[in-house]
Amino acid sequence: MILDDVLSSGAMPALEATIRFAGQRNRLIGHNIANITTPNFQQKEVSPRDFQQWLARAVDDRRTKTGGMHGQLDLASDRQIRVQRDGGFELEPLSSTGGVLAHDRNNRDLEQLMQDLSENMAAYQVATDLMRSSMGTLGIAISQRV
Amino acid sequence: MYGSLDISTSGMIAQRTRLDVISANISNKNTILDAQGNYSPYRRRIAYLAAGNPGAQSGKGQALGVHVGAIGQDPSPFNLKYAPDSPYADASGYIKEPNIDTTTERIDAMEAVRAYEANVVAAETTKQMLALGLRLIG
Repeated sequence: MILDDVLSSGAMPALEATIRFAGQRNRLIGHNIANITTPNFQQKEVSPRDFQQWLARAVDDRRTKTGGMHGQLDLASDRQIRVQRDGGFELEPLSSTGGVLAHDRNNRDLEQLMQDLSENMAAYQVATDLMRSSMGTLGIAISQRV
Repeated sequence: MYGSLDISTSGMIAQRTRLDVISANISNKNTILDAQGNYSPYRRRIAYLAAGNPGAQSGKGQALGVHVGAIGQDPSPFNLKYAPDSPYADASGYIKEPNIDTTTERIDAMEAVRAYEANVVAAETTKQMLALGLRLIG
């Protein structure tokens, strides 16, 4: 279908995955912040580095298959990322993020959490801005045709 | 994304409840009688937080977030105060006062307020991200 080709061209699938990841990671960070004073709580995290390596593999794969400019990304389930049937994915953080245990056996690190929160927000912002400009380009292309 | 707001809200609710408990402790610092006027010194209350949010709508929401699992009583011994003239004094002239230390309560309160603030920041960030996501439509 032509729309599928249009929507899976260029960086769109990678942007979509990044937006999805940042959205879900925001939930995890929110969960960690909500439990910042919960005794025995182990902070949960899916590292953006792991995600990027996972995404890079799919992008490389697409490049060897189609030359890199079009086609959906073939995402495969990973240790901490479960791909769903509709092409979306779900983060499944495995375990503790390590670090020092406080006296209540919670390995919180407020500064790290706040940094993660703003970095994640920035990544989300960049991805949505890029997505928006891709959509804008598409809009211009379509309006030239009619 | 909407789930994220629920999580931060659960954090704010839990910290506010905790702050309520701390306020009750501070205001009852000298309470030695119960509501009926019988001698029964107030025991310090503690809010125990637990991960997960049983009040959430969705199953996924229940796994994330935080809630006050229980409000328990501090079993540590009461403070003794020498007041031989008090009608509640024991044989050696002491009355039992609540096992509440205002300094501890104030530090706990500070911690609760800061944790509340952290949840507010997380909720603000989620709101901004929602707005960014919605801009994709327009």
